[in-house]
Amino acid sequence: MQTVVYVARNIITMTPSRPEATHVAVRDGRILAVGSLEEVAGWGDYRLDESFADKVLLPGFVEGHAHMMAGGIWQFTYAGFEDRIAPDGTLWIGAQDIDAVIRRLREAEAALAPEAPLIAWGFDPIFLTSDRLTRKDLDQVTTSRPVAVIHSNFHLMTVNSRALEMAQYDRNSDVEGIARGEDGEPNGELQEMAAMFPIMRRLGIDFRSLARTGESIRAYGKVCQRCGVTTATDLINDLPPEDVDVLTAITGEENYPARLVPVLNAHSAPAAEIVSQALGLRALSSDKLRLGSVKIITDGSIQGFTARMRWPGYFRGPDHGIWNIPPEQLMTTVETLNAAGVHMHVHVNGDEASEVAIEAFARALAKNPNPDHRHVLQHCQLADAAQFRRIRTLGLCVNLFANHLYYFGDKHYELTVGPERAERIDACGTALAEGIPLAIHSDAPVTPMGPLFTAWCAVNRVTVSGRVLGASERICVETALRAVTLGPAYTLHLDHEIGSIEVGKKADFAVLEENPLTVDPMKIRDIAVWGTVLGGKPFPLA
Amino acid sequence: MNPSDLRLPLTVITGYLGAGKTTLVNHLLRNAGGRRIMVLVNDFGDIAIDADLIASQDGDSLTLANGCICCSLGGDLYYALTAALDRTPRPDHLLIEASGVADPKRISDIARAEPDLRPDATVALVDAGAFAGQVEDEYIGSSVARQLRSSDLIVINKSDLASSAGLADLQKRIAGLAPAAQQVTSFRGRLSPDILLGRRDFSEEDRSSASSSNEHDVPHEHEDLYVRWSMTTETAFDKARLTAALKDLPAGLLRLKGFVRLRGDEGWALVQVVGRRADLELLKSPPARAGPSTRLSAIGLKGLLEPASLDRLFARR
Repeated sequence: MQTVVYVARNIITMTPSRPEATHVAVRDGRILAVGSLEEVAGWGDYRLDESFADKVLLPGFVEGHAHMMAGGIWQFTYAGFEDRIAPDGTLWIGAQDIDAVIRRLREAEAALAPEAPLIAWGFDPIFLTSDRLTRKDLDQVTTSRPVAVIHSNFHLMTVNSRALEMAQYDRNSDVEGIARGEDGEPNGELQEMAAMFPIMRRLGIDFRSLARTGESIRAYGKVCQRCGVTTATDLINDLPPEDVDVLTAITGEENYPARLVPVLNAHSAPAAEIVSQALGLRALSSDKLRLGSVKIITDGSIQGFTARMRWPGYFRGPDHGIWNIPPEQLMTTVETLNAAGVHMHVHVNGDEASEVAIEAFARALAKNPNPDHRHVLQHCQLADAAQFRRIRTLGLCVNLFANHLYYFGDKHYELTVGPERAERIDACGTALAEGIPLAIHSDAPVTPMGPLFTAWCAVNRVTVSGRVLGASERICVETALRAVTLGPAYTLHLDHEIGSIEVGKKADFAVLEENPLTVDPMKIRDIAVWGTVLGGKPFPLA
Repeated sequence: MNPSDLRLPLTVITGYLGAGKTTLVNHLLRNAGGRRIMVLVNDFGDIAIDADLIASQDGDSLTLANGCICCSLGGDLYYALTAALDRTPRPDHLLIEASGVADPKRISDIARAEPDLRPDATVALVDAGAFAGQVEDEYIGSSVARQLRSSDLIVINKSDLASSAGLADLQKRIAGLAPAAQQVTSFRGRLSPDILLGRRDFSEEDRSSASSSNEHDVPHEHEDLYVRWSMTTETAFDKARLTAALKDLPAGLLRLKGFVRLRGDEGWALVQVVGRRADLELLKSPPARAGPSTRLSAIGLKGLLEPASLDRLFARR
């Protein structure tokens, strides 16, 4: 096969021996050489490709914690505050006030089939200065068909009067989570699963299906491509055989633009069955589909007050801390999976959850030492310095939720955990000082996927209001870029194949318009993405 | 049951690991008493049903010869509930075995919100021997206490392990944590389905037929623990007085249910009591099979519930 040499304005390799270069030679989908033209030309005949001559190449970004739903969700109308580009390339201008939301919904309504419900997503009241969105606003869109606007956190929605009527909600409804206006009538805002359930059922809003269809998988690939991601996780999936077949077929297509790492839901069956399922899945891995890891969720979320917190608990607000798995059962599950050599991602948000998970790994690894286990604590947002020291001793990896700093940082400072703990939330600096393998993530669709934005968050630690949250935990740009490339690749046991521009690895590149190492660090998130190269094949956005 | 009420009743079983939830579910599936119960469980593998009782098995779904169905919850409550509601024919009763640390209120609240579900009861199981350690545990103590607070009935299981003095202390302690719940003791999950789910065709019974013909498989060991009561009356009830009566329920009452004809143009009401929680629901149309009379029936703890106290209570019309 022919060798192609790409010339770029700059190639940032993540390889210490040759951190920057101008040329990369690609053969058989792999990186043949990196250096100057003279150096790479030593491998024989080549075709020089100058399409990236004014671009900057980085290793293809690796999103170590996101969800396939980030693709499927776009079948609903986007009603968020920020400009976003849909997987199909449509630019959606952010709706900056409620009137803009109404205008957006009216346009979408006009295009709907007569019986179809109008469903929107991404709405975030945190950014709106005016009143809260109510059913009266949505009634201006239509009263003849149901309208539901799912908020960006997926824990709330606002619906119109027709939808309330379908759910038989009225002033007498005795259901927690139905918000009311001053007149005592439901105002259209519904909080949490119970109150949303009748609407979701009647309007056919099924988040699980959003992740399962071929259409969603394709859309997810495009979401990745748009932000320079060449490998992305789907960090919890039941992975029944029929879904694995679909995933295998779609990722096997030459034009599918990403490598996927779907991770098995450990809660769907007893641990012993999960072991055999995970090992069976591992054997089904293919070039662009990697299977065999599992995910365990231990607690809820900090902003939802459902994370498990140690003393002194939440700063302001009620403690609704929940375990998703009994700690005792976590101990045995982690032991069983570790003993069988199954790689685990464990969701921990609150510091009590991280404490219990660390303890589970300590016991499991004492019984069955597994030096290259690379088990990952996911989110791990409130771990303190002592916990990070234990994490290092046990050889665990962390994937910190850097995007949280921007989106929820103010809320954490003022409400959930208070100033001191907010300043050390998602403590990238501490993790690195301890030498812990570090990745950072978006948890898309909870926050938008975009490794440059994620890196920007870890570098600047700036919140929506402009506050710098814990300057001592900021990390340098180069390190942050590593935490969205080689870092997450390591947490997925894929660092020998992807994550750096290095001889022998897959020719996966993020193609950028600017160099993140030389722009103002506050501008990293604004760098435009040209597209990607995956296995040597260019995937331009335009 | 009112045939026009097509809502699927939902009972949530909660309790920490080892409290006996799975044993209870196994017992219930064998002693369904003619009900087509659908059970959603966490650990499908722990459901031990004799092969000759199984009609078919399809992945994580087991259909029994007696019409009951047992499915894996699979970690996705939304999906499991919609699948249960969309099932034809719809089961008579839905029972969810919550995980050992789940907040049962998050599940029962869905039944309160969803028009096609009827919240029946939340039943907590307590392991008599392990409870003290669990409720004091720094990690799970708050979850265990929350489960009790959200429950209508608390079943103290394996009570043979506790001395009678120890049991009394335990009951007192549980009452302190969950004053609104009614407590009942059980051995190895052998609890009458009538307590757990309410009586089938409850309003059709009269005082003399303590066990109807379709319930021959309910072990008799239950019967000496409970006392049953029912009343039929032609006199209509005053709604305010009935509401007041339901706030003054006697000790030992586990369940009470019936259709009540109200005075004036108020029509009919469905009254349901589980533990100490009473619901009075005004019906839009008269119950189809109830006839012209008010019929109420109840089950309670023998030695604690005095049937005459219910006669007196509902004499206030």
